[in-house]
Amino acid sequence: MAIDEAIFRENQRTYAPPTLRFYSWSPPSVSLGYFQSTCKEVNVEACRRYSVDIVRRPTGGKAVLHENDLTYAVIASERNPLFPPDILGTYKVISGCVAGGLSELGIVAEMKGEGRSNPDDFLKAACFSSPSRYELLVKRKKICGSAQLRSKGVFLQHGSILVDFDPVKTCALLLPQDGDQTQLAKKLHGSVTSVHEQVGASVSIENICHAVKKGFEKKLDIKLVEGCLTLEEESLKLRLMNDKYMNDKWNMEGKVQDGSGNSD
Amino acid sequence: MKVFPDDLLYNREHAWVRVEGELATIGITDYAQEKLGEILAIELPEVDSYVERDEPFGTIESAKGVFELISPVSGEVVNVNEDILDDIGIVNSDPHDTGWMITLEMSDSEELDDLLDSREYHDFVLKEAESD
Repeated sequence: MAIDEAIFRENQRTYAPPTLRFYSWSPPSVSLGYFQSTCKEVNVEACRRYSVDIVRRPTGGKAVLHENDLTYAVIASERNPLFPPDILGTYKVISGCVAGGLSELGIVAEMKGEGRSNPDDFLKAACFSSPSRYELLVKRKKICGSAQLRSKGVFLQHGSILVDFDPVKTCALLLPQDGDQTQLAKKLHGSVTSVHEQVGASVSIENICHAVKKGFEKKLDIKLVEGCLTLEEESLKLRLMNDKYMNDKWNMEGKVQDGSGNSD
Repeated sequence: MKVFPDDLLYNREHAWVRVEGELATIGITDYAQEKLGEILAIELPEVDSYVERDEPFGTIESAKGVFELISPVSGEVVNVNEDILDDIGIVNSDPHDTGWMITLEMSDSEELDDLLDSREYHDFVLKEAESD
């Protein structure tokens, strides 16, 4: 999270070319959307029991369990010609790139248009259960969730592509907990899928990453070049880690103390 | 096309400011609220905190994402619109008036010179809308 935000903040200053990052999580973590309430959305006790960290994203959207997923971040200027200037247009283009990547793996994903679907409270709380903003469905099940932050002409889009999916564990970690857990897990299983389920075999995260990278390159007609953080990004990353993303005040309450981030 | 009140000044981040002496009341424009869509949540600074020009003074979430609100001027927060914290829909329904967000005691009124008047903002928005 700190790296994504550091690249985003630096891009506001430098107008650097767009960045696409891929990562997975160790230890497994639940990420919360910017405005989500920890106590209302996450079973903190269960997270401790399963050794699952909790982190708050700078982007919006719902809670996501990052255990068997490939997370991507796209950071770009709103005026970069690779992406349309309108907000939903960027979701559409990036979803097209991810869909292209999934097709490299033999998965046919279609885009869900605007709006949300599932009215069920629990299903609404879990990011993967409510397709919106041109998110990707495979056989009417969601496989990828995404959310954005925009400020000063730059956008950061986070997305999570499910490599494998454990509806029982997701139900145990995300609230509300007042329904029948078995029923909720069944419902979630019926509305969410994963790369493994669709391919019918195990696919390494490296191969998925390679395929999605190819999806971006083909769709945008670009050649991605590997890079590393600039000195300024590295230094901002360390500051954001210490002041924000490793700080319970931010992760649990959504507040930072020294004004280094985007909250008070 | 939207009508932007003549008694307001605007920045290029779609925030407006109404100036009364040293006090600057700030909100987002009708164009901005329409672009964001239905606003679902807002976070504003506390009274007595300090806001810098061209830096975020708050954050909004709509169905399209999270958006930082960029302040047109610097100053100390002297008032926050509690009504919009209770009913966020006001920002969508009446952005230029009762949907105001904060009032600052300006620290440098010369910063106002860099803002756009309603005509300039109208042209700016027209250009932006064309490229969308």
